[in-house]
Amino acid sequence: MRRRLRIGAAGGVLLAFAAAGCSNGTNGAASAGPPRPGGTLTLGIAINPECVDPQQAGANGEVNVARQLVDSLTDQDPRTGALRPWLATSWRSSADATRFTFHLRKGATFSDGTPVDAAALRANLDGIVRLGARSPIAGSYLAGYAGTTVDDPYTATVRFRTPSAQFLQATSTPSLGLLSPRSVAADPGGRCHGTRLVGSGPFVFSGYQQNQQVVLRKRSGYDWGSPLWRHHGAAYLDRIVFRVLPEPGVRTGAVQSHQVDAITDVQPSDEATLTKSGVTELIRANPGFVFSLYPNVSRAPLKDPVVRQAIQLGVNRREVVDTVLTRSYRPASSVLARSTPTYTDLSAKLAYDPAAARAALARDGWRAGAGGIRTKAGHALRVDVVFTATFNQSQQVLELVQQQLRAIGVDLRLRPTTPGELTSVQQAGTYDFSWGNLTRADPDILRTLFSTRFHNADRLTDSPLEKDLTAQAATLDPERRAALSARVQTALVAGGYAIPVFELTQVVGLGPTAHGIGFEASSRLQLHDAWTSR
Amino acid sequence: MTVFADLPVRAAPVRGALRLLRRPDLALAVLVLAVVVAAAAAPGVFTARDPLRGVPADRLRPPGPAHPFGTDYLGRDLYARVVHGAGESLRATVVAVLIALVVGTVLGLLAGFVGGAVDEVLMRIVDVLLAIPGLLLSLTVVTVLGFGTAQVAIAVGVAGVAGFARLSRSEVLRVRRTGYVEAARGAGVRWYGVLARHVLPNATGPIGALAALEFGTAVLAVSALSFLGFGAPPPTPEWGALVADGRNYLAGAWWLATMPGLVVAAVVLAANRIGRALEHTEEGT
Repeated sequence: MRRRLRIGAAGGVLLAFAAAGCSNGTNGAASAGPPRPGGTLTLGIAINPECVDPQQAGANGEVNVARQLVDSLTDQDPRTGALRPWLATSWRSSADATRFTFHLRKGATFSDGTPVDAAALRANLDGIVRLGARSPIAGSYLAGYAGTTVDDPYTATVRFRTPSAQFLQATSTPSLGLLSPRSVAADPGGRCHGTRLVGSGPFVFSGYQQNQQVVLRKRSGYDWGSPLWRHHGAAYLDRIVFRVLPEPGVRTGAVQSHQVDAITDVQPSDEATLTKSGVTELIRANPGFVFSLYPNVSRAPLKDPVVRQAIQLGVNRREVVDTVLTRSYRPASSVLARSTPTYTDLSAKLAYDPAAARAALARDGWRAGAGGIRTKAGHALRVDVVFTATFNQSQQVLELVQQQLRAIGVDLRLRPTTPGELTSVQQAGTYDFSWGNLTRADPDILRTLFSTRFHNADRLTDSPLEKDLTAQAATLDPERRAALSARVQTALVAGGYAIPVFELTQVVGLGPTAHGIGFEASSRLQLHDAWTSR
Repeated sequence: MTVFADLPVRAAPVRGALRLLRRPDLALAVLVLAVVVAAAAAPGVFTARDPLRGVPADRLRPPGPAHPFGTDYLGRDLYARVVHGAGESLRATVVAVLIALVVGTVLGLLAGFVGGAVDEVLMRIVDVLLAIPGLLLSLTVVTVLGFGTAQVAIAVGVAGVAGFARLSRSEVLRVRRTGYVEAARGAGVRWYGVLARHVLPNATGPIGALAALEFGTAVLAVSALSFLGFGAPPPTPEWGALVADGRNYLAGAWWLATMPGLVVAAVVLAANRIGRALEHTEEGT
């Protein structure tokens, strides 16, 4: 669980994409003519994928690779959030959201020839639970897992001890993608680097060179793709090369000079340069929890709701986006991103109002002190924020927030840390704010972050949110879930339990030879429809 | 027997200074260091702008009359940040050089003067330190100590200890065999008296030159560590951190990394030039 529970840490941030208003999810191929099968697509990626096993992968760069190797039971429509059949042709849930029965399609096979059947599903889910801490994301989707019953060769029932409404959406994620039973039994460490990593997806693993590249090969005979994809049958590309280019400037140069067909993680500072040089941008906002400050309410001064609410009013989100980000990003208008199912617009409550913030602090007894920083009973209004540079622009954003908060008399100190250090600081609770986002196209992300039984980002002891968080996990009724989720979002904003700042966006830079690259709902690149005109 | 030939000789400081300033490149180097030290001591004299407060509307302006070094991504004046960064970066550098100088010299003196097993043990430790590349050693130390300017200074200082220890030991060995030291010992002066009054003063020349050279190296090492994010937390404008901040903007705003980079380069070159001159002065006497 550890990796998942680090907000903002490399392994914990799930970068996902859902439909942004300006993009239909795949880049236009109108001028390039009909898709041409064959060839190699080279993608410049920002991090070395330490683990390409979908069930163990955590970081976005890892899951982008892993997604191509496996199929999922369901697929989520990026536009509506609705689930569509994929490996499962139909499914049924019990009213209390503890039992889920899946009917699997016949004919799908793993690339080692074994069939995708109910026994394989059981082996996978049991295997993920056995992976334990090695499987931070998939493991958390299976919290409360009681077991899987094989009803007939192609029907299985998954049972949970506690209501788990989020499980259906989870089946659409690559984290619960299915591997061959032989793969499940293999050494998890080896699987990370592709050894005996066998899925049923449109691509198969071909080679891994640490800090250099990961190569995938087309699976010939593949014919059980998601109905959301544009074409049926095998993938267009013969090969995909994910080339590791950590330096943003190098990635930008590589796509400008056509050494790679496309790059991920385009930096805000490079967007203007890239578009000027004819590179097309593929933009998608991440669903889930937006980039936010999470107050540690277990200690002063953020124990005081007035301080938290003043900080909520003292952050100028529009200025953050206009100054250090680009038009591809949006200021937060709730704690959830617009693309998340059950998102509730709370922009009125998140308006910038420094005068009201100052007045609230003054009423609370915080008087202006030395250097414009307020004090109360001899204590300066000084709070720190621990963060890692998961998202490259985090430091710039926080420096601007720091400057904004100084105007209302709050001294925000930046504490850059390494992921390992962050974990120990968060466990010890010796910080005021943490920083990060968490991506998932399901409102259960609220429970993951704020329930005292899960991550508990705020270090709450007696949470006023617990009742609603538990209730939304126990209902499959979309309207009731939406109402409960809206209540939690409102309470988080009003009580200053999270200070949302901006919606994370993924920006992919496409050279003239890259076509058909798309995104899937809960997250990452979808390359089945991709092709190259190189 | 030319007993008097190796008597301690001291160059007249005034004459030395005049000779230094007759060379224009050296004068320039001295001027650069003087300006930087002045900026570190009194940044307010050089700029009236706040290095921490930006005007978002003025962000990423290229160098011009209003902003000689341009502005950064928050609209902060880069010149003001470089000037205010001088104090932070130079303090770390001076502390680093002092640590290297004091610890290294003491180790070298002990090893050279006492000799025997002490010499063997100390010098083998120094050998081990010398075997590890300086920056790698600094990185290791700073990783253990944690983030911050003081930690960076200590890490860079530790990496410089070995050089000073080697040099001061060889100087001590040289001086120890001179006639006046033998004479002092023969006259019954106690060993610590000989060490303090005769050996140390006559071994300092090359050590001073090395300190000046080490200053340049240390500026670079301190900047390198702060570039990697081990220095003071943002928004403190350390030079290395300023270069790191500008790295992601190279394509669109070259001045962000270039300006502080040039300042670091100028200081390193100036310190090197002065160190070289001191070395030659030593050899000349």
